[in-house]
Amino acid sequence: MPVPAVGTQEEWLSARKELLDAEKKHSRQGDELARRRRELPWVPIDVEYTFETSDGTKTLADLFDGRSQLLVYHFMFGVGFRVDDENPGCTGCSFVADHFDGVVPHLNGHDVTLVSESIAPLDQLQAYAARMGWQFPWVSSLGSDFRYDFGAAFTEDQQQHGADYNFKHEDHVPAQREGLSTFVLRDGVVHHTYSTYARGVEQLMGTFRFLDVAPLGRNEDPKQPGAWWHRHDEYETLKEARA
Amino acid sequence: MTEHRIGTQEEWQAERQALLQDEKELTRRGDELARKRRELPWVPVDKDYRFETEAGTRSLADLFDGRSQLLVYHFMFGPSYTAGCPVCSSIADTLAPQAVHLRARDTTLLLASRAPLERLLAYRDRMGWPIEWVSSAGSDFNRDLGFVSTEEELKPFLEGEIPPVVEQMAEAAGTSVAGYVAEGPGLSAYALEDGTVYRTYVTTARGLEPAMAYYGLLDRTARGRHEEGELEHWLRRHDEYAD
Repeated sequence: MPVPAVGTQEEWLSARKELLDAEKKHSRQGDELARRRRELPWVPIDVEYTFETSDGTKTLADLFDGRSQLLVYHFMFGVGFRVDDENPGCTGCSFVADHFDGVVPHLNGHDVTLVSESIAPLDQLQAYAARMGWQFPWVSSLGSDFRYDFGAAFTEDQQQHGADYNFKHEDHVPAQREGLSTFVLRDGVVHHTYSTYARGVEQLMGTFRFLDVAPLGRNEDPKQPGAWWHRHDEYETLKEARA
Repeated sequence: MTEHRIGTQEEWQAERQALLQDEKELTRRGDELARKRRELPWVPVDKDYRFETEAGTRSLADLFDGRSQLLVYHFMFGPSYTAGCPVCSSIADTLAPQAVHLRARDTTLLLASRAPLERLLAYRDRMGWPIEWVSSAGSDFNRDLGFVSTEEELKPFLEGEIPPVVEQMAEAAGTSVAGYVAEGPGLSAYALEDGTVYRTYVTTARGLEPAMAYYGLLDRTARGRHEEGELEHWLRRHDEYAD
């Protein structure tokens, strides 16, 4: 454990105040980026995407569920980190999704619907959600181009020849990656407003923000930063196995 | 909703790409701030604070529960409150599911408030949070961190015009404005080494936004937070939203 200098309250306070100025600046820069996100042009969607949901087949407009804005998390299912037949939800996406149920009532109360989407049969998603104890809506986009069109799934041809991910060309892309896409419904027309991928998804994961204020920070192996992640029902099991 | 610029996919893509560069820059500045936090001096805590917990009276060192790091969310639930602050409640909605992941990083996360333990636990049952909550009633713990104000200190505020949002929150917490604002929200971080507890970090106000995951999501929607100038805050407890 790298131990920083031990100091007096006065030394700490003076260093803390200096850091606070930098933190405030960072908050304001974040506000400025949020403003610029809202200034992006809205792109009307003219493809009729359909999804399988617990209430039957729905269109993208239906997924808004009566609200004006929709956030869709592109959850990797059947592919991803530490995935096998018994554990089909990606461990990283499962970690992200652990943050959803706490925010859903507040987002819904503020005219925003949050939905997860995966390319997998609905009953498999439902079984995994039941295991994890999740309540947020999770829809199947199996058979739809939706996830491909929003840059979080790649065809076999793209996997072989490369494609854009996170707005940059990659020579090698896997079958799927994580991401979040946002939409607004206006006069019956769905518009795409924003998508984010890779570390952009960290914004959805409060756990990192907490580690960033903990004494040792994220404390990860730089070569394998996600090595410590597990599904939330696996941590205790692992501890017992080690004991 | 105001008129919004409609664009083509190509226009959106070009502007999104430019924004992405600045988002990456902000993320990296956030990493830099996290590094600076870890460089703050550690201050030994020499006061013997006592807490009422479900397992009986405990010291600050005990609260680590065998781990090397402790994060305390100072939840506004003062002696005169009959229910928790709605904003702190929305924060706790997002904290509870993260505790298991933080434990895997050798970090204990818990809530601390000045109301008697029984009242805290009854409210926790109502809200359904699987997270440890301790009472610091009878200790100077919150006061020493600046999260409790005396009537004398509050006098200038109480004699001025009270913002409607403060009245709204006080009423929701079942207390007077003076009772409500006697408490302040905060987050404090500690390290335990060789039996000594060190305080490493303290934050409040917008420094708590990282614990308000819904803002990160709203900042990515078409309308953003859209709460400026509203006399009543849109936040409610998760079981109080109309639908």
